[in-house]
Amino acid sequence: MTETTGSPLVTRGLTKRFRGGQVAVDAVDLEVPAGSVFGFLGPNGSGKTTTIRMVLGLIAPTSGEVELLGQPMPKAQLQVLPRVGALVEGPAFYPFWSGVANLLRFDAADRTADPRTRKVRAGEALERVGLSNAAGKKVRAYSLGMKQRLAIAVALMQRRDLLVLDEPTNGLDPQGTREVRNLIRELADDGTTIFTSTHLLAEVEQVCTHAAVMSRGRLIRQSSMAELRSELRPRLVVRTPDVTKAAETLKSLGVTDLRTVGETVEGDAGELPIDKFAAGLVAADVRIHGFGLERPSLEEAFVALTGEGFDVAE
Amino acid sequence: MGAAQRSRRWLVPVSAVALVAGVGTLGPVVADASPKLPDISAQELLAKVQTAKVDGLSGTVHSSADLGLPALPGVTGGSDSASGTVTEMLSGEHTARVAFAAPDKARVSVLDNMAERVWTTDGKSAWAYDSGKREAVKLQLPEHKSSGKPEKKAPQSYNPQDVAKQFLDAIDPTTKVDVSGTEKVAGRDAYKLRLTPKTDKTTVGSVTLAVDSKTWIPLQVSVLPRTGTDPAVEIGFTDVSFAVPSASTFAFTPPKGVEVTQPKAPTTRPDVPKGLPSKPEAKPENGKKPGTANEPTVLGEGWSSVVMVRGVKLTGNGGPVDQFLAGAQTVEGSWGKGKIVTSKMVNALITDDGRVFAGLVTPQTLQDAAAKAPR
Amino acid sequence: MSPSSALADSPVVARPSAGRHTLALFKSELQLVFGRARTWVLLAVLAAVPVMIGVAIKLSGAEGGAEGFLGQVAGNGLFLIVASLGLSLPFFLPTAVTVISGESLAGESSLGTLRNLLTAPAGRSRLLAAKMVALAIFCLAATFTIWVAGLIVGFVLFPVGDVLLLSGSTISLGEGLLRALAIAVVIALSLMGLAGIGLFVSSLTSTPLAAMAATFGTFIVLGILSAIPQIDVIHPWLLMYGWTSFADLLRDPPYWDAIGRNLLLQAGYLAVFYCAAWARITSRDIV
Repeated sequence: MTETTGSPLVTRGLTKRFRGGQVAVDAVDLEVPAGSVFGFLGPNGSGKTTTIRMVLGLIAPTSGEVELLGQPMPKAQLQVLPRVGALVEGPAFYPFWSGVANLLRFDAADRTADPRTRKVRAGEALERVGLSNAAGKKVRAYSLGMKQRLAIAVALMQRRDLLVLDEPTNGLDPQGTREVRNLIRELADDGTTIFTSTHLLAEVEQVCTHAAVMSRGRLIRQSSMAELRSELRPRLVVRTPDVTKAAETLKSLGVTDLRTVGETVEGDAGELPIDKFAAGLVAADVRIHGFGLERPSLEEAFVALTGEGFDVAE
Repeated sequence: MGAAQRSRRWLVPVSAVALVAGVGTLGPVVADASPKLPDISAQELLAKVQTAKVDGLSGTVHSSADLGLPALPGVTGGSDSASGTVTEMLSGEHTARVAFAAPDKARVSVLDNMAERVWTTDGKSAWAYDSGKREAVKLQLPEHKSSGKPEKKAPQSYNPQDVAKQFLDAIDPTTKVDVSGTEKVAGRDAYKLRLTPKTDKTTVGSVTLAVDSKTWIPLQVSVLPRTGTDPAVEIGFTDVSFAVPSASTFAFTPPKGVEVTQPKAPTTRPDVPKGLPSKPEAKPENGKKPGTANEPTVLGEGWSSVVMVRGVKLTGNGGPVDQFLAGAQTVEGSWGKGKIVTSKMVNALITDDGRVFAGLVTPQTLQDAAAKAPR
Repeated sequence: MSPSSALADSPVVARPSAGRHTLALFKSELQLVFGRARTWVLLAVLAAVPVMIGVAIKLSGAEGGAEGFLGQVAGNGLFLIVASLGLSLPFFLPTAVTVISGESLAGESSLGTLRNLLTAPAGRSRLLAAKMVALAIFCLAATFTIWVAGLIVGFVLFPVGDVLLLSGSTISLGEGLLRALAIAVVIALSLMGLAGIGLFVSSLTSTPLAAMAATFGTFIVLGILSAIPQIDVIHPWLLMYGWTSFADLLRDPPYWDAIGRNLLLQAGYLAVFYCAAWARITSRDIV
C-alpha cells in the first residue's frame, strides 16, 4: 500500500447537497501535493468542514470522488484511514474519562493499532502536545485548549502519512498556537503531508506551503504560497492632506483602481515607472507626507477573492 | 456511494422482516405439509381407531378453544371450582404434559403461567397438586377394582384418544364420516378423519380427528364451527412418544412444606379431585353449560341435543350477570319469554321462569326445544 | 515535545500487526459501558430489588401467604432469586436496557466521539457489532446482579434447602441454584429484542434522552397492546409474549417449548432491528 506517486488527497467534482437543497460544497477539485502543508482557507460556513467530512468518509458526497492516499473513499476507508490522522470540527471526547483513557479508546478502534504499544504511544502523543501532566485528569476538567491538544494527540497516536486537521489552533492561547504551528512544521519536516483548514490567515502565512480558498461552497483558488505571493501586485500609496488633488493628478497620470481612505490615496500603478508619479504630484502642488509601493497582504488578496471578510482577530 | 446505493441498504432490514414473518407464519405450515400415505377408507380407519391400543404414551398436549364465549363477569372464577376450571379450559390456550401406562397409571400436568397443576395416579393412590397454592390432595383408591376407569377421568379431556372415542360412539346416521386427507401431527404422519353433522340445527361444522398412521391413536381433535374456518376447539399432541413411561413418572412424593389433605377413601367412585380440568359431561359435544345448580336434562339427540337446567337463579339480583343479560336479545314463544345468549359455537336460552337451555345448536333449535320441554 | 526521531523514518512504515486487533474495539466498548458511574447506578438499583423484597417479606413475617414464587421466599431463600428476577422483568430490567441501549449510538453521536471512532477507523458495521455485544453483556450482567444479590440476601435472611419445583417434585439446592442461573440467562436473552429496538432507535438520533424515551415508549405501547384481549391474534408476535416462560425452567423436567419460542421471537426482533440499525448507521451522514 505504498504510493510514491500522486497526491495524498485529491477530490474531483466533490459536491454535497443537503436535504433542504442547500449546496454546501459545490464541485470542489482539490489536489494536495505530497509533503505539503496545505492551508484550506475560508470563512466560517464556506464548506470547509463539510469537505473534510466527505474526505474522511463521515458523510457521503452527493456526487464527485475522493481519493485518499491513492485509494477511493469511502470504499477503501478501512485500509486508508489508519494512515490518516484526523481532527474534525472541534475536539470530542468522553468527559467522564481521563485524557489518556480517551486516547486508548480511539486507538483501540483502529484494528491495525498494536495493543502492546498502545500505552507507550499514548504517553508519547500526550507529551508531544504538552499534556503529560493532565493525562490522568478527566476530560471534563480540561480547558478548550487542552481538549484541542488532546484531539491533536489522537491524530499523533500513530505514524501517519497524512494529517487532516480542521481548525487545529481553535481555542488555543497564543503560546499553544505557536506550539501547534511548530508541531505542524516538525511533522511536515518528517514527511507527513498536512491538510489544515483554518479561517486564520496568519496561520496560512506562517506555516503553509500551499493554500486553497473556499467561499460559499466553491473552491476559488488553490496554488502554492510562492505563486500566490508573486501574483500580488504592489500598489502605489500616497499619504497626503490634499487627497482630492492627489487622486485627480494620479488619475491623469494613468493610475487605475484609485481609492481614498482618510489621508491616503492608493491605486494600481501597473507597469508605469514610479518616479513619474512623484514628479507629477510635486508639480501639482500636492503635499506629500509619504510615498511608496506597498505589497498587499494575503488577507487583502483573499478579501478580494471571496468578497467576504476574514476573521483576522486572534 | 450515491443516495440510491445507500437507500438500498434498507433492503436488508426489510428482507429481515420478511424472513422473520415468513418463518413465523409459514414455517409451521411447511413443517406440517401433508404426508403421503396409502389410501384408506373411513370405515377401515374407524375400525383401526377403535381397536387401537397402546401400553403407554407420553407427550405434550396443546389445546386451544375459541368458542366465542362472552367473558361472563364473575363466572370465569378461579381454579377453585370445577366450573371455573371448565370455563377456563374452554377458553384460551393450554398446554399439558400427559403420560399414560396401561392399565391404570396416568399423569396430567397442566402447565399454567408460572404455575402447574398436577393429577397423577399410580393405580393405588391418586394425587392432585396445585403449585400456586402449594396444596396436595391424596386419594387412596379402593383395591381389587378395575380402578383404571375413574382415575383416567382426569386425563380424559387431555387424551385425544378418549375424546375421539366419544365422538365415534356418537356416530350414527346423523353424521357423515370421511377421510379428508393426511397431515403431520406431533411429527407423525396422520390420517384426517372428518365427521360432518348432517343436520343444520347444530353450530358444529365438522369435527376432524387426526389419526396416527402407525398406532391408530387419535393425535388431534379439531372442531370447526359451521361458519368460519378457524377451529373453535383444537386439542392435540404437539409431541408424543409411545414408549411406556417409567413408573417414577406417576409417583408423587408430597414435598416439604406442602399441605396434604386426604379425603375419605371413596367407595365406588372417587370424588373428582379438586380442580379437575373437566368432567366428561362438560364436553363441548354435550353442549352443557357448566356451573349449573340442578341436575341437567338432555333433550333431543345427536348433534342437536340441548341441555336443560331448571331452577337456575341467574337474574334478578342486579349482579354482573344481569348487566350482561340486559344486552342480550329477548325472545318470546309458546314456551314463554327469555333471553338468547349467542356465541360462535355455544348458544343458550335463559327463560324468565328460571330454565336454561344450552347446546351447540342454533338459537331456533333452542326455542324449539324449550317449547317441547317439560316445565 | 518529545524527540521526533521515532517518526523521522520513511513516511511509509508497514505495520506488521495490521488487521489483527479486531477485538480491541469490543473490549473498549465493554470498558465504555462498565466504566461509567451510570451503569453501576443501574446495577445497584437492580441489586436493591432482592434486598427490598427480602426485607419486606422478613418484616411482614408472612409465611407462605402469597401465591407463586413470592410466597415461597420465606420458606426457602433461593426463591428470592427467582421472585426478584420475575418481578424485575416487567419494569426494572427493561428500564436499564433502555437506558444503556439508548445511550449506545446516540451518546457517541451527541459527544461527537462517533466521528473520532469512524476516522480511527472503527468501521461502521464493526462498531455496531461491538455496541450490540456490549449491550448483550450488559443484559447478562444485569440479571446476574439480581441473581447474586438475591442469593446473598436470600441466604442471609431466610432458611434455604431443597427446592420445590412447580411440578411438585424436589431438587437439591445446588441444582436449584443452577436452574435460577439458567433463569437469569433466559431473562437476559428475553431482553435482546428490546435491546435491538433500543440500538436501532439510538442510531436514529443524536440525543440519547430522546432515544431512551422513544425506546421506552415503544416498550410501553407493546405492553399495552399485549393487554388488549381483542387483538389476541397479534399477541404471539409481541415482544413480551413469552417473557414469563422462564418459569418453565422450574418444571420437572424443564419445559423448553415456550422458552425456545420466546428466544426465537427475541432473535427475530433482534435480527430485524439490528439490520435496521445497520442500514441506518452505514448510510448515515455523521456530523
